[in-house]
Amino acid sequence: MPHSSRLPCPRGSQLTIVVDGSPVIAYGGETVATALLVHGVAAFHRAPDSSPRLPFCNMGTCLECQVSVEDQPLQRACLIPVRAGMRVNTVED
Amino acid sequence: MVDLAIVGAGPAGMSAALTASRRGLSVLVVDEQQRPGGQIFRQPPAAWAAPVRTPVGYRWGRPMIEECEESAAISWRLGHTALGVTAAPDRAGSMTLLMRGPDGVDGVPVKRLLIATGAMDLPVAFPGWTLPGVYTAGGIQTMVKAQGLLPARTMVLAGAHPLLILVAELLLEKQAHIAEVVLAQRSLRPSSLLSHLGAVPGHLGVLMHGGSAFGRLLRSRTPIRRGAIVTAARGDGRVEEVDVADVGPDWQPLGPTRAISADGLVIGYGFQPSTELARQVGCRLQWNSPKGGWVVSHDDHFATSVPGVYVAGEPAGVGGAEQSRAEGHLAALNIVADLGAGSPPSRGDLARARADHRRASRFAAMVQEAFEPNRQALLALAKPSTPVCRCEGIERHTVEQVIEATPFLTRANALKLECRTGMGPCQGRYCELTASGLLAAARESTMEDVGHFTGQFPVRPVSVSDIATARIR
Repeated sequence: MPHSSRLPCPRGSQLTIVVDGSPVIAYGGETVATALLVHGVAAFHRAPDSSPRLPFCNMGTCLECQVSVEDQPLQRACLIPVRAGMRVNTVED
Repeated sequence: MVDLAIVGAGPAGMSAALTASRRGLSVLVVDEQQRPGGQIFRQPPAAWAAPVRTPVGYRWGRPMIEECEESAAISWRLGHTALGVTAAPDRAGSMTLLMRGPDGVDGVPVKRLLIATGAMDLPVAFPGWTLPGVYTAGGIQTMVKAQGLLPARTMVLAGAHPLLILVAELLLEKQAHIAEVVLAQRSLRPSSLLSHLGAVPGHLGVLMHGGSAFGRLLRSRTPIRRGAIVTAARGDGRVEEVDVADVGPDWQPLGPTRAISADGLVIGYGFQPSTELARQVGCRLQWNSPKGGWVVSHDDHFATSVPGVYVAGEPAGVGGAEQSRAEGHLAALNIVADLGAGSPPSRGDLARARADHRRASRFAAMVQEAFEPNRQALLALAKPSTPVCRCEGIERHTVEQVIEATPFLTRANALKLECRTGMGPCQGRYCELTASGLLAAARESTMEDVGHFTGQFPVRPVSVSDIATARIR
């Protein structure tokens, strides 16, 4: 059973993003962080000691949700709304 | 040239924007979120077509957000990150504010800048605080409220701030499973929240909400442990167990710990002002522990030590939404008067705004006093191998070795250069308190003596190519 789940509430229309090369379902208005957490991504990035990290603050200050989006590194997944076809890569430091 | 740029669209930024634009100034507001409201009023995305909802007790919140969203007089830069001010403001106060949006970086010349950047959850370093599944109280609240996301199955809520009670209530409403609420205070009761009611007219709604939320929490039979603290989170790649110890009145652990199974841990010890932009601009700060730590110094007009730069809301001292709203309004009136543009406030306007601010501040002072975190006890939670700096993975023993080996090192900035704590992408926001607390303790000096990290441009990470292609008007 996954750790994260969507609560029942109205959402935008269903779309697909591409996470580490695989299609992942998301809904318009969701952030990249929400889509990745519900998908069960275990590490958005890894710290220098290779420990896995997931979102911590969800407000853009901690940088633990950093991923690359459309090949741009150091993007904060908690601030970026998903778009159909968006390419997201988790980061192995 | 914009008359007034406001960074932050929370209660302070929104009320300042509405006041200044109603009085005829050209106003631009920058915020990283997609909608105005700030963290306290975070809303689901507009496309989800949910009605605007604000917490009980802030009746002005919803109309303020709606007026902002309908206002054509305010130039909104939502989904934009303020990166800093390029050059020191000139004598007239003009400066260029750089920001990054989806289309890259641009610079806007502005006559006045209002820093309304809000606050962040107080960082507390304890063993396991970097494990996936550990969230801040503010973080989980916005995941649930603004994204309809529940990021764990079974949660422990731990800390010492009344926000935790509201988060617990929110989670119960969503039928989440709370294994336990762990509060450091031994005698936190609804009555301690409610006993100040007579002294704080105008804040009945907020306190009643806090009190009744506590009542509902008790009736829900959620285990609540008062006088206890989370000493560690443990697990293989994810929180699996949370260790809890009972504490004395000084929050020092008394005996053995007990383990609670959970895949989520929510931490809420309070808030610290977000001051990185103020630091980058060069504003003087002062240490004020009840107000959240390093706060931006200002005069009666909310002008900072830098000409043309004003502050309102949490960066001037964490005091909640009511005080932030009052400060935003008062700061905007002073900015209008200072610029000599638009319709200046009358003496009566200013007197009313000051009286409103005084009322809000009395309530804020009560909350600050009642819920000031025990910084010594929180510092003691970090063990030698606990990462102080999440980004660079600098552990406590490394910081202490550097402090011991470098006796002439007395300032937080020097410590940062010497051991790299604070040099990662969060730019020191999460390690500053622990690192400078360790330094102050070792030197038997104060936080004022040790000082704060300086703020560097850009205050959020941005690519060199974005800077190189910046459009400066």
